[in-house]
This record gives sequence, C-alpha cells and structure tokens, in this order.
Amino acid sequence: MSDSFSIKLNGQTVDAFTGETVFQVAARTEVEIPSLCHDDRLAPAGACRVCLVEVAGQRRLQPGCAWVVTPDMEIITESDRIAKHRKVLYNLYMADHELDDAGLPIETGNGNQLRELCKTVPAMNLEPVIAPRSGRPRDDNPYIQFDPELCILCARCTRYCDEVEAVNAITLSNRGGETTIETAGQRSLIDTTCELCGGCIDTCPTGALIEKKAPVNLVQLGGTEAVRSTCNFCGVGCQLDLHVQNDKLVKVTSPEPGETLNDGNLCVKGRFAYDFVHHPDRITQPLIRGEDGLLHRATWEEAIKATADGLMKVRDKHGPDSLGFVSSSRCTGEENYLMQKLSRAAFGTNNVHQCAAT
Amino acid sequence: MLKPTADRERIIELLEHEGGVTEASVRKVAAQTGVPEADIWGTGKFYTLINTPGTRVRVCDGLTCQMFGADELARQITESGKEVERVSCLGQCDLAVATLSEDMELVTYTKKETNISPASDDLAINLAGEVDLGYSALAKARLMGADAVIEQLKISGLQGRGGAGFPAHFKWTSLINQAETERYVVCNADEAEPGTFKDRETMLRQPHKMLEGLAIAAALIGTREIYIYIRGEYVNEVAALEVAIDEAKGQLEDFNVTIVRGHGAYICGEETALLESLEGKRGMPRLKPPFPTESGFRSKPTLIHNVETIACVPSIVHHGGQWFHDLGRTEAGSKLYCISGHVNQPGVYELPLGVTLDELVEQAGGYVGTPLAFSPGGASSGFLPISQRTLPLDYKSLAAAGSMMGSAGIVVLNDTVDMARAADWQLKFFERESCGQCAPCRIGTQFIRRQNEKYIQLGDPATFEHTEDVAWEMEEGSICGLGMIAAKPLTSAREHFPEHFKTR
Repeated sequence: MSDSFSIKLNGQTVDAFTGETVFQVAARTEVEIPSLCHDDRLAPAGACRVCLVEVAGQRRLQPGCAWVVTPDMEIITESDRIAKHRKVLYNLYMADHELDDAGLPIETGNGNQLRELCKTVPAMNLEPVIAPRSGRPRDDNPYIQFDPELCILCARCTRYCDEVEAVNAITLSNRGGETTIETAGQRSLIDTTCELCGGCIDTCPTGALIEKKAPVNLVQLGGTEAVRSTCNFCGVGCQLDLHVQNDKLVKVTSPEPGETLNDGNLCVKGRFAYDFVHHPDRITQPLIRGEDGLLHRATWEEAIKATADGLMKVRDKHGPDSLGFVSSSRCTGEENYLMQKLSRAAFGTNNVHQCAAT
Repeated sequence: MLKPTADRERIIELLEHEGGVTEASVRKVAAQTGVPEADIWGTGKFYTLINTPGTRVRVCDGLTCQMFGADELARQITESGKEVERVSCLGQCDLAVATLSEDMELVTYTKKETNISPASDDLAINLAGEVDLGYSALAKARLMGADAVIEQLKISGLQGRGGAGFPAHFKWTSLINQAETERYVVCNADEAEPGTFKDRETMLRQPHKMLEGLAIAAALIGTREIYIYIRGEYVNEVAALEVAIDEAKGQLEDFNVTIVRGHGAYICGEETALLESLEGKRGMPRLKPPFPTESGFRSKPTLIHNVETIACVPSIVHHGGQWFHDLGRTEAGSKLYCISGHVNQPGVYELPLGVTLDELVEQAGGYVGTPLAFSPGGASSGFLPISQRTLPLDYKSLAAAGSMMGSAGIVVLNDTVDMARAADWQLKFFERESCGQCAPCRIGTQFIRRQNEKYIQLGDPATFEHTEDVAWEMEEGSICGLGMIAAKPLTSAREHFPEHFKTR
C-alpha cells in the first residue's frame, strides 16, 4: 500500500498517494484539467501541452498528465498565466488545422475535442501555417481512414498501437512541420502488421482517424443512440456500444476504458464486422431443404421437428457417438450451455464442441 | 512494443549501411534486428543524413555561411549539374562557406585553416599545446578518489560548457548517490549550434583531454561504459577520435569506449534527445524529471557532459580546482570562444571566462567594416547590439542582458547585414530542426518564420501583430530548450534593431 499525504490543488487540501500524477489526484476532485494527448491506457507523453499547470517552486509550467506529486506540493490549474497559455496554444493549433466557416476546427463523425477546447478561448485568427504533412491517400484498407489535416500529432494512435496492441503498424514519421503518422513504406494498413482493430480511431481526440464505413457527418446528423450489447464473435464477452441511427446500425465502439472488461479495446470483428446485421442475404426465418433439393420456408416448429427427426434417425441407426455437436462462438454462454445439455442429456454423447474453444 | 531480443540501438547505423530509408532497407533491418518495420521507418525518417537515399552536395545555410554567400554558391553548384541539399550549420563557420561533398568530405572555398590561441600553460584546454598521452590525471584521480575529485570540481566552479552552464559537480554527486550500479558516461559531441565549432577543434587537436576526462568520470562513478555521441557531419573528427582511442588503448583498457555517430538532427544535442537517439529512436526530447543522472541511457543513471566540459577535467585534477577557477575573470575557468562572421581572423580562442567582445575580436584580428550586431552564443542566444561590446561574455551577464552564453559561438554582423534577413536565416534553422513533438515549437517555429518572411516581402510591420504572444507561448509551453528560444532571433532583433523592422 503506498503512502498517502496531502497536497494543495488550487488552494484546497486534497489527499494523494506516492507516485500519483496531478491528473490522478485531480480525478478524485471537481478540478478539471483539459488534455488532448492523454489516455489512461498509455504512458503519459506530455506532448500536446494542453494540460500544463503551475507547480510551486517550478519556473516552468509542467504537464499535469506526467507530473508526479510529492507531499505538500502546491498545484494551480487556473491562473492568468495558464489562461494566456491555453489561448495562444489553442490558436496555434487552429493555425495548423482545417477550420469550418465559424473558424473552428472541423469535426468528423467522431467529433473533435480540439474544437471544444477552442470554443473556450478568444480567437486570435493567426495566419495559417502550411505544414506539408503526408497521408496515405492510396491506403485501400476497408475500415480505417486517416486525414493528416485534422491530426495534431499527439501520437495517441501510434502509442496505442505500440503500448496496448503491441502491433506497431504506425509511427510518427518525418520531423518538424512535416511530422505525420505513417506506415513503413507508406503502405496500406492491410500490407502491414496492422490487425485493423481500430483502436487508433477510438483513441484519436480530433477525428483525424475515422471509420470508413460510418457516415462522416454523424455528429451533424444529430448523433446516434448507443445500445450496449455483448460481442458474439468469440467467448471473451467484450461489451459493445452499437450506434443506431434511423433503426440502422452505423458504427460500433467500445464503452470507455475502465468501464468494461475489454477496457476500451475491440478487435476487427467486434468493431467492424457488423455488415451481417442489415445484409440482404441474412436468413431471417427457418428453411428446410425439400425432396426437390431446394430450400423452402418453414415455421420454427417444422424446422425443429425436421432437425430432431433427422438426428434421432442417425442415433437409432448408428448409436449416440455417431453424432457430434458444434456450436458457434457467436452464440451466448447460455446457448452454448444448452447445446452441451442437448448433446449429453438428450442424445447421450460427449461429442460437443464450440468453435471459440480452439 | 519491443521484443526483449530486439536490437533497437543498431537500427540507425544499419539503415545508413543500407544507403538510407527505403521500403527494402527497412524490411532488411527489421529482419536483422527484430524491431518492427514501422518503428524503423519512423526513426530513419527523422534523420536528414539517411531519410532520403542517394548522394548530393550539402551546402551549409548557417548564419555565417549565409553572410558569406552560401545561396550563391549553392546556385553555382546546382548549375554545374550536381544535386544540392541545403543543410543546417555544418560547424565550419570560421571557414565559411562550408559544404560536404557527395562523399561526405568537407569542402571549403576561401579558408582552410582555423585560427587558435597560442599555446600557454594557463589554459585548461590549450588547443595548441602539446598532446599528453600520459593519462597521469587519470592515475591521480584514482588515487584521490571520487569525493576528493568532486570537491576539486566544486572549487573549480566548472560549469557545463554545452550551453546550460549547470555546475558540473552536481551531476557527479548525483550519479555517485544513485542506488543503481549500472551506470553510463556519455560525451555530447553533437556540436550543431550555428556559430559553434569549439568541440570540433578540441577533438581534432586535444582528443586525449576529452578521453582522459571521460575515463576519469567513468572510473570515479564506477563504470566501464563510455559513449561518445558525435554529429555525423564531423567525419574528420570521428577519424581523429578513432586514432586517439587507438593511441590510448593501454590507458583506456579498463573502459569500453563506443563512438556513436549522429545522422543529421540538431535536436540530438539536447541531452535527452541524444539518449533517445543512442537507443535507436527518434530524437525527441524526454520530459524532465527524471533527469539523466537518475534515469538516462537505457533508463540507467547517466553522466552526460559536453566535450569542452569533460576536457577541462584532467587539467582540474592536475592543477587543482583553484587553479582552474582563477583562470577566469568574471566567472570560473578559461573558455573556448568561437568567433566568426565579420572579423579578420575567425577561429577558436581560449580566453578567461568573462572577456568582452572587443577583447575577443582583438584576438581575432579586429572587426571587418562597421560592426552592428553580434550573436553571443549560437542561434539560441538571439542578437545583441554592438553597444554591448564591453559586456563580459559570461553566463550571468549575458543572461541578464536577455541573451545567453550558450555554446559561446559568437557571430559578428556588420552594418551591411539586414537584421530581418539575419533573423530569417536563424528562424529557418529552428523551423527545420524542431523535432515536431510539441505544438508550441512545431507550429510556433513555422508561424514566426513565415510572419518574418512576409515582412521581408511586404515591408509591413503589421505581420508581427501576434509574434510576441506566440514567442511567449513557445517559451512557456515547449517541452525542451529548442522551442523555448526558437523565436529569440526575431524577438531580440526587433527589440534591439527597431529601425530594421519599420514600414518599408
């Protein structure tokens, strides 16, 4: 158990523990410190400079995400100095960002946290800089879109790809104003180690990374209704937020990190393989193959009876172990339980398996 | 995430061996080292000596070379049918204009020889002095022990000669007090501050002072491991060091001395960026704390000193701290001053710390033309008006004047120079060399340079409307020292030379 002590946060005495950062202490209070490059799943980078705070005894402003507190430390998160810092910093970001008619950073279907921050400071209308950042216009992967003009180079995507997924498909590349996010050889993500998990999209604070399949103007369309569900592609049980617009599933995200067991992460199937939901080929009612070799619509009663008759015929002729039962990983745990019950109790064989078990 | 078996520290060198960053070279290096391809690509793309395959003539566009017609020379070389790349200061300001040939050989056009101070026993580095291969200071330091040597360092008042001016003995004390016993000594020979070429001369003329200083440091903090990080453009200096290490292999038998060459990134002179580069990463400065003395190379306690700082150590051990202290005038020690620009005999002069510009220029053969301004400590120090010619060139006085001692790379500008143009040359340098990690520096350097360029084109001072605020934020908000001072060439030039920034 780490030692506890107290520090002063904006004049208030608050408890802190050895090794905690200003962010971690502030999270237990009402004090809000803005940030763009921080994600609790990643080591602090202190790169966006949005979270700078005053630390008594320190000449320079220090990043709240990375600054480790010590007993009796005095931290100030709001002051004239910090207000000026935020004003000029946000305006610099705007000079390096695509803006809309209102002069604010444009937002994609995933919103833009920078835009929200920029609304909190007076506009200086700095002349834009011309940063020649390369993207990957010919990247033909089906899921992940990157727009370098909306990127603030906080490196959350590359750090996520490295620190959380251990995939290292993307990297900060070049230098200075030309710094951008690249793959080795500017290849399509498909031709890299990328597993297309889309976690980079999830952690991107500005919407520079978006889902190719989702409407780009989701926010402008009035947003979506999120329906919490369980991913049925495998047995892990990741929680999903299904984003529904006009009765149509348009995007899948994970609940916030720390909220569910998947901790903000999903795999390519969970995040992107939802086409089947609205697919015209999807079978929506039982079918039985007739004597003519073709499939015919049937009721559930008819279909279950046909299946049961067939299975019992085999068992009676060849014995229970002539049967084997394999259930899909897309079934729920309860359904899988019932499947083994059916196999063992009803038909008397232990030949039962579930595809996610291998 | 790196596999435990991956060999990241080798990737930059291997990329160079493969001729630079290409898809194929990256794939090959990934197979050789086990490092992910993207990490190799992103790292290689950071360094200008390897990011674009192929050979070309590199023409310096540092301040002094620009003053002496680098643009015109670049045009002539291009017209002769060769490909030209304009590169940041090559550290040959006294020989301006400087270029590197397609084979990475130094080619200068007007001057070949560097002027240095005559030999004297009352100089710590004594560039012209006899080379001493005895390594007797190392033997003496071993007998004295760490505490006694550190005490002498303290008395000597030796300050970090790379630019920060931090008292050297603090670092040694901090190292000795670390619980971790795996420790490193690193020599910062990544001399790239425009106007600076003192470490170059030290390595060429007195490499054993530097090597002996490093050996003393390593012996006393208890490590065998010495790394020398030297800028890749210093081809002759790398060769000189290799010869020196070979000459002294008997005296250095207790140490592993490794030379690591940089690959074209000024920012790697910042100590934590240097460590990142040593580890085979993009040279982006780390957040401090932790400081390198606590967590440096390979996250272990690391003593990092500039070439000149560490080269002072043998003399201090020999003659005692008081001797060194008394060599200075307003502050402790003798100091290598680099001087170039509009003076008759540019070079490296070792003088008492705290001499004035006039005294320095007297050594350098006097001013050429009517002096207007000088940059006292590299691009990072901005400009001062010639009216400050009697100011002691030391850490405290220059800081009080709103400038800095920096690397003591002094450039004199006479009244033929337009200060807006001089600022432009320096601002381009910082814009190009910004690592791009943090927004105040990455965007600020672009903004400031562009506004000044617009002023030069349009003659309208309204272009400077927001530059003071942006410069303020760069100083307040940047991660490292580069961003903090990158607007200085403009803000100082406008402060001291308002007549150069009027409506025109």
